[in-house]
Amino acid sequence: MKTITTGILGAGRIGRLHGDNILRMNGVDLKAVADPYADFGSWPEAAVATGEDPDLVLGDDSIEAVLICSPTPTHADFIERAAAAGKHIFCEKPIDLEPDRIRRTLAAVDQAGVKLQVGFNRRFDPTFASVKQAVDDGKIGEIHLVKITSRDPEAPPADYVATSGGIFLDMTIHDFDMVRFLSGAEIVEVHAYGAVLIDPAIGTAGDVDTAVTTLRLSNGALAVIENSRQAVYGYDQRVEVFGSKGSAEAFNEVPAQVRLSTADGIRFEKPLYFFLERYQTSFVAELEAFFSCVRENRPPPVDGRDGLMSVVAGLAATRSRAVNRPVVVESPGETP
Amino acid sequence: MNRTTVGLIGAGRIGRLHAENLARRIPEADLRAVASPHLDEVWAETLGIPVRSTEIDAVIDDPSIEAVVIATSSDLHVELIRRAAAAGKHIFCEKPVAFEPGPIEEILEITAKASLRLQVGYNRRFDPSLLKASEAIRSGEIGDIHTVRVTSRDPIPPDIDFVRRSGGLFFDFTVHDFDTVRFLSGAEIVELFAVGEVLVDPRIGAAGDIDTAVITLRLSNGALAVIDNSRHAVYGQDQRFEVFGSAGSIAVDNTRATFVTTSTTDGVVSEKLHGSFGDRYQEAFVAEMRGFLRSVREGGPVAVGAEDALAAVRAAHAARRSLAENRPIRLVEAVETVEAVGAGSSR
Repeated sequence: MKTITTGILGAGRIGRLHGDNILRMNGVDLKAVADPYADFGSWPEAAVATGEDPDLVLGDDSIEAVLICSPTPTHADFIERAAAAGKHIFCEKPIDLEPDRIRRTLAAVDQAGVKLQVGFNRRFDPTFASVKQAVDDGKIGEIHLVKITSRDPEAPPADYVATSGGIFLDMTIHDFDMVRFLSGAEIVEVHAYGAVLIDPAIGTAGDVDTAVTTLRLSNGALAVIENSRQAVYGYDQRVEVFGSKGSAEAFNEVPAQVRLSTADGIRFEKPLYFFLERYQTSFVAELEAFFSCVRENRPPPVDGRDGLMSVVAGLAATRSRAVNRPVVVESPGETP
Repeated sequence: MNRTTVGLIGAGRIGRLHAENLARRIPEADLRAVASPHLDEVWAETLGIPVRSTEIDAVIDDPSIEAVVIATSSDLHVELIRRAAAAGKHIFCEKPVAFEPGPIEEILEITAKASLRLQVGYNRRFDPSLLKASEAIRSGEIGDIHTVRVTSRDPIPPDIDFVRRSGGLFFDFTVHDFDTVRFLSGAEIVELFAVGEVLVDPRIGAAGDIDTAVITLRLSNGALAVIDNSRHAVYGQDQRFEVFGSAGSIAVDNTRATFVTTSTTDGVVSEKLHGSFGDRYQEAFVAEMRGFLRSVREGGPVAVGAEDALAAVRAAHAARRSLAENRPIRLVEAVETVEAVGAGSSR
């Protein structure tokens, strides 16, 4: 198998996660990691060049593929620079918060003829992939309703919220992508209700911490997403696709499949704590998929258009909550 | 025991269910009479009901009858309540009592003046699981309420004649869910947004109704709620409830006729869900009638009254209007302009 040489831009939590996964992978070599703010300390535990300058990665001609794990405002620029340098790109979501900026970036990627995959890792979760397979196999017939529950275990600090783009672009964006993935349809209209019920500081920062979003899909089906920034019992990630022949559901995963029955009742383990635990497998699988597309010259399974559509849906939801009206989702326009 | 004499008006699906409970499972009831235009004499005789008639007067004019159970089609409810109240009888009426808020308000007034008990058939409030969930929520086990979730899907779509008379999905079906949201949250519905489609049967659409819907709601305690409905879940009566709050969540899952799991090389299989609401809520139907008869005997308040019917119908009006206009509707707004709105329809 041909070895692919990679570099990472951004050494925060997600950058290090990908880096460690690559170091354990066969056929992929991690050559450099750049981050102007990171204190690398003892990370990574391998012979990898580290430094502040992105050119450590972008300027190295031996690096064939880059992973962009830096803060969101830098994504589009790094994608364009990587594309200009002829590198294949894996970029964390969202590409940008401005659809027009995303379109320009995608055009640059297209022109350069490089591959771009967006980090919607949940598509690679074996449980959700199995729901998708059941849908694709026609086991539930025509889709009538997609239902997603997505609750974080702990609310982020209000200063994170202030720069996050808001709950719909920061959190629900994954769920918009999951609706598109499971249904195979586009989101055509969005209505969102939101409330500040967990932390008043989130409200002061202009955001909400609890939301219920209704969607109309291009295949005529309906969808509903329920979000909370804080479920005290852990990361609550459930999906259901309901159709003419039945329904396919995915439940929470637990650290141990133990049922403890006592005089006080019957007790199960809480869900896995957060996304690093719950989606561990999917983070490896999404990169493996990306590298095999690079190796075999196939289009990536989650592309720039997917990155654009989830942002467009997030913006529609943000606007819907602001004006308290359903909002028609902007059509994708000319995308590669 | 001091038995209460009961007369039943209407012996369709739900009327027969009540009759069988009253005759066989509720010792404190004396089911004296049944009246229904298409009465099945053999059935009524088997249950040992002494007075069997196709005339409603046989129940209303019988002075020995203390309480009537009204289980006719919805359009007759109001007139029958008026007549029963004028005859001094306590009343159990199936939901939705009426399609318009006005007549329900009138009924509230009449029954209050006459000191008569009027209970409405929101049977879910008597389901042991929902009751327990409601008590746990009230005692603060999950802290402040953030979201309420109701999944309610029927196993078989109704026939088209019924759809035409039903008042539409929101009035016939979702009213139960509106009531359940109020019951579990202890809060009022302030505003809602409804989307609906015809995905099950085009004839439902031709009759001016929808068969699939998602309704999101704002509640008076600041919480949000979501209801999803389908007229056709092929795997059975799907009834799930979840209330999520600051200290955790409480869920009521589906029940089944049996609890057998078969594991083979093909997978792990358990039985489908119940085939009808009668089976799913069997205990609740008995318990609601016993609760009603207790209120009649002891003169106490009913667990679910005309105020609750009014709130659910107001929500149904708001949902119909929200669907028609494709925008969120505040409940006060829906009631003020209710006359101006046409029947529910799909976009």
